[in-house]
Amino acid sequence: MAYQLYRNTTLGNSLQESLDELIQSQQITPQLALQVLLQFDKAINSALAQRVRNRVNFRGSLNTYRFCDNVWTFVLNDVEFREVTELIKVDKVKIVACDGKTSSPVDSISRNHSSP
Amino acid sequence: MACVNPVPKLYRSVIEDVIEGVRDLFAEEGIEEQVLKVLKQLWETKVLQSKATEDFFRNSTHSPMFTLQLPNSLHQTLQSSTASLVIPAGRPLASFTTAELGASNSSAGFTLPGYPIHVPAGVTLQTASGHLYKVSVPIMVTQTSGRASILHPVQQVFQQLGQPSMIQTCVPRLNPCSLQATAEKSQRLETVPQQPPILHSGLVHRKHFENATSDILVPSGNEREIMSEALLSQLESSQYISVPGVMFPPQVSQTGSPVEPVLSVSAGVTQNLNGGPLSTGRPGAQHQHMTDTQLHVLKNRMFGCDSLKQPRNTEETSSLPVSEKESSSQMDLSNQVTDDDINEIIQIDGTGDTSSNDEIGSTRDVDENEFLGIVEAGDLKVLEEEADSISNEDSTANSSDNEDPQIDVVEEDPLNSGDDVSEQDVPDLFDTDNVIVCQYDKIHRSKNKWKFYLKDGVMCFGGRDYVFAKAIGDAEW
Repeated sequence: MAYQLYRNTTLGNSLQESLDELIQSQQITPQLALQVLLQFDKAINSALAQRVRNRVNFRGSLNTYRFCDNVWTFVLNDVEFREVTELIKVDKVKIVACDGKTSSPVDSISRNHSSP
Repeated sequence: MACVNPVPKLYRSVIEDVIEGVRDLFAEEGIEEQVLKVLKQLWETKVLQSKATEDFFRNSTHSPMFTLQLPNSLHQTLQSSTASLVIPAGRPLASFTTAELGASNSSAGFTLPGYPIHVPAGVTLQTASGHLYKVSVPIMVTQTSGRASILHPVQQVFQQLGQPSMIQTCVPRLNPCSLQATAEKSQRLETVPQQPPILHSGLVHRKHFENATSDILVPSGNEREIMSEALLSQLESSQYISVPGVMFPPQVSQTGSPVEPVLSVSAGVTQNLNGGPLSTGRPGAQHQHMTDTQLHVLKNRMFGCDSLKQPRNTEETSSLPVSEKESSSQMDLSNQVTDDDINEIIQIDGTGDTSSNDEIGSTRDVDENEFLGIVEAGDLKVLEEEADSISNEDSTANSSDNEDPQIDVVEEDPLNSGDDVSEQDVPDLFDTDNVIVCQYDKIHRSKNKWKFYLKDGVMCFGGRDYVFAKAIGDAEW
């Protein structure tokens, strides 16, 4: 099982929206949509791990930090992201990071929520 | 140059992988292949529209009908050609100032005139979407039977002004709709008599159009009519339009399908296109070029895009009144405070800004004189800082707490003012457009110095997407 982390990206959200439209028009079942999303999780995780090779550096000031369920959530202010090709500045950025060491995390958040 | 952006390719490959991966799933469920295709198209359209990738279809297999070779310096004086631009009087939007076209970003808006318009080379045309096209070769825009057509030129160069330096290098991006239409279109070029394309020119009023449709018919030297549908992203992104044979005029249909859906489909649906300054000719006018199949495809896209667009527009329109309301409520509150200042003790909440103050205020005047100074300063400060929350709270408090003693509330306001600031932090703090979703290798902290070692991340800054394999960062808390 791969992280469901990447569902809240442009790619993931657009997929979810498309699936929702198909569900509403009753062309697919919600169960099938879930399967598609799981497939998406696998695909995006492997794509990022294998097909992306670039590095980024960044610097800013830390506004908040949170560590819960092995997920770090940061909010940084006035950050500069530096890549070889370009420099990007943002005044506020939120970073959500799951543990990169474990390979089969399922989704720890939902697991905790569902447990009694 | 941003031409080597890895994101579009990556997204494309992910989409392909997912679609292939679920193909069996769909088959098992007994769902048609068509549904899978629809899913893919919807997905791709949304990604395209999200401006997350500038040139999502740069690597598209569809090759444009014409190669765009727009020279950089195409600033011919248009004044000389002004006369040739026949814009009939009385036509709306006839604000075509050719003199301004030499400079970039000048816009020419005109509706479809009743008779031909000769557009000389170097003219910059702005479509309804706001995208600018520079015509390098003289073209003639005619309108017959309510439709406009561009005749002539062998090679049409339509360049979207934005980053002229990148013109010659970037491949234009096309919407999938247009691509399909292009293919079909090219086949029909020979057989089609002069069909009028519609040159949409208009002013874009909203910058957050993500796609716009401009229909430009560019016939070749063989009198073929080539209709190109350029799907553009926003003005900020440098998109370059090829001139494929895709025409997507409002008059699409042989079948009489309505204009608006067609426009909205290719445009990725923008409000203006649906009802804006475009004078696109008569809806339902027949366009013999479009096949039924094309129409169906376009219709499908339209539905997809429409549904996408509708909520967006409603969101946008609704957001405006809300913000206006908030600001007006702020103003009201400050006005009321001023009045209260003169007559009574300032009440920020409770009955402070209602007529019922007369009863309470008079009794409190004597008792609370000593608090006047403190209350005023505190109230004003609070008003400055937290006008929004207070006005909202006050309005509810006014209605419900009319009879409660006001003394406690007044005293607590300055004390609570500090708390209010942090209250706003939490809900809004984590709500931002700039998000990074990634995995962490190591998070290190030393005193208040943090070091981040991240990997496999997707970044989204203001809608634009980036990816990284590794990211290393420093921050001070």
